Amino acid sequence: MLPPQLPLALRLAPEADFATYWEGPNAQPVAALRRAARGEGERLVYLHGPPGSGKSHLLQAACRAATEAGRGALWLPLAELADGGPAVLAGLETVPLVCLDGMEAVAGQAAWERALVALAAAAAAQGAGATLVLAARAAPGALPVALPDLRSRLGWGLVLRLRPLDDAGRAAALRLRAAARGFELPEETAAYLLRRCPRDPASLFALLDRLDRASLAARRRLTIPFVRGLLERA
Amino acid sequence: MTPTHGPWRRTFREDHLAVNSPVWKHCISRLEGELTEQQFNTWIRPLQAVEHRGTLRLLAPNRFVLDWVRDHFLDRIAELVEQEGQGGLRLCLEVGSSTAAAAARNGNGRIARSEAPWGSALNPDYTFETFVEGRSNQLARAASIQVAENPGRAYNPLFIYGGTGLGKTHLMHAVGNLMRRLDPDARVVYLHSERFVEDMIKAIQGGSEAINRFKRFYRSVDALLIDDIQFFAGKERSQEEFFHTFNALLESQQQVILTCDRYPKEVGGLEDRLKSRFGWGLTVAVEPPELETRVAILMTKAQQAGVELPHEVAFFIAKRIRSNIRDLEGALKRVIANAHFTGRPITLDFAKEALRDLLALQDKLVTIENIQRTVAEYYKIRVSDLTSARRSRSITRPRQLAMALAKELTSHSLPEIGQAFGGRDHTTVLHACRKVRELRESDPRIAEDFSNLLRILSS
Repeated sequence: MLPPQLPLALRLAPEADFATYWEGPNAQPVAALRRAARGEGERLVYLHGPPGSGKSHLLQAACRAATEAGRGALWLPLAELADGGPAVLAGLETVPLVCLDGMEAVAGQAAWERALVALAAAAAAQGAGATLVLAARAAPGALPVALPDLRSRLGWGLVLRLRPLDDAGRAAALRLRAAARGFELPEETAAYLLRRCPRDPASLFALLDRLDRASLAARRRLTIPFVRGLLERA
Repeated sequence: MTPTHGPWRRTFREDHLAVNSPVWKHCISRLEGELTEQQFNTWIRPLQAVEHRGTLRLLAPNRFVLDWVRDHFLDRIAELVEQEGQGGLRLCLEVGSSTAAAAARNGNGRIARSEAPWGSALNPDYTFETFVEGRSNQLARAASIQVAENPGRAYNPLFIYGGTGLGKTHLMHAVGNLMRRLDPDARVVYLHSERFVEDMIKAIQGGSEAINRFKRFYRSVDALLIDDIQFFAGKERSQEEFFHTFNALLESQQQVILTCDRYPKEVGGLEDRLKSRFGWGLTVAVEPPELETRVAILMTKAQQAGVELPHEVAFFIAKRIRSNIRDLEGALKRVIANAHFTGRPITLDFAKEALRDLLALQDKLVTIENIQRTVAEYYKIRVSDLTSARRSRSITRPRQLAMALAKELTSHSLPEIGQAFGGRDHTTVLHACRKVRELRESDPRIAEDFSNLLRILSS
């Protein structure tokens, strides 16, 4: 099912887990999600941060950690599920960890909001049995939620903000991601990339994939001259 | 390989489950390499595997996930199971959860009495002991205790109404928990009304046998607790079914407790006969808690969390967060989480820092302009009337209320507020605040207007 490029087929995509997430200024949210994955801590966690701050990564990492510990977990990217309607939420309070990603995709839609209230109410009734983790770009008070009941339920959770990384953090995140893929990105090359390329994490990680394939195919280390040559040709 | 499930089989329970089947473990590591990470996390990860007597059952959390997995991945899964299980394993996909049984077990290790196909568990933490009493809720609390002690006889139905996040659900669960403590065999079912509607629609789709089961189930309980019945608005078929269930329960003295975000007569889209029946028992309001109760709630919650909360910090949070108890608890959680994480003691400065974002957002939402707009809308006058020199009663009362609200909800000084109301003197604002305080004591209409406006502005 993978594309037929030989270099890529040799490696698995880096998994979105806690080990590949560069904490930087976000140690507290990461610690909270680790607890959520273990079924400890708050029953409702609300994570917010700008695009590219790693919300999806952390939510999936929590699901991975939970299932590895034998607890059922579910990650739902709402942006992709929004059109299908909220039937996907039915009965989810029996799943020990439910992560709903991209709340802004369904905020303001009456049917979704009602289903979210019902899920939150059922999960609250379960007590320690169910943890809900919600992620959005905006804080609960700034999310355009129409139902007052849903609004107050969001505020009831433990609200955590993900802060964007500074340049040093971005470089560290890139190098950590490279290491998880099994190759080394030298510090000066990381700094070079950050000076020359779009700096949002999604673009940077996509670029990293390209560099990885190129270095593997050319059997060269990712030195600045090698990377410069690649970028100039592109 | 036909999925064997029905709407009444939301949860699958068996005591001797072999979860984490080794065959399934092999299958998922293969699937993980073949699917995108997103597909894998969304659709494969939530499946729970139970291997028992030659059958591998994959349990999907709901019908939607089941359909998706069946349509997109089941062929491949079947191939893998065939290979890994050397052809000796039958595969079946159904809706269910192997953890539901564990979740339904309560503290003393036995299965809770709510192991019904419908309805949620009762949260054992929501009791009368953990409920903080104040002027705003004492009537509702007293009525709830009486109902728990004399179910079906004291007040039936018990109708609790009030704004969101004020403790209605807590009271409802507390009644259920006390009923079970007094009679361990009591069948108490708690359900959000949106779920009642969902379950009913599924039952209807399942044919006459399913709808009969649905009816029998709901009519056999000792107490039916339905949360947020305003969600029934505009759903005629659900109201019809609920009406019959409701009548049947009342006739045979089974207890019904309902919560709603407003007085029954004010719920739009609800049939009149339902509204009138809701009033047959006792209708009781839960008001937003006053400052003293908010402080008490914070102190109690902190104590439950094993955290020492200085009184001045509780007072600070209670003063700044007045919308509802959920927001109050959310703020406290944030302070406690920060204290745990940093290892620092909770002081006033620490709490201010921890809540800076939250309070800044709140301040941004509640401005004098916003208050003027809301008050004008409430009394159906113009904003310009509030800032004008007009002195007729129909204008001065709303103006005084708006000024008092601005003093209460914003951090503007009296001269600043006076300025925003057409350049009035600060003594005028002071007079308005005193007048409103007086009227709230003596005139129930003003008291209600004030608390309604407070709720609209701070939710």
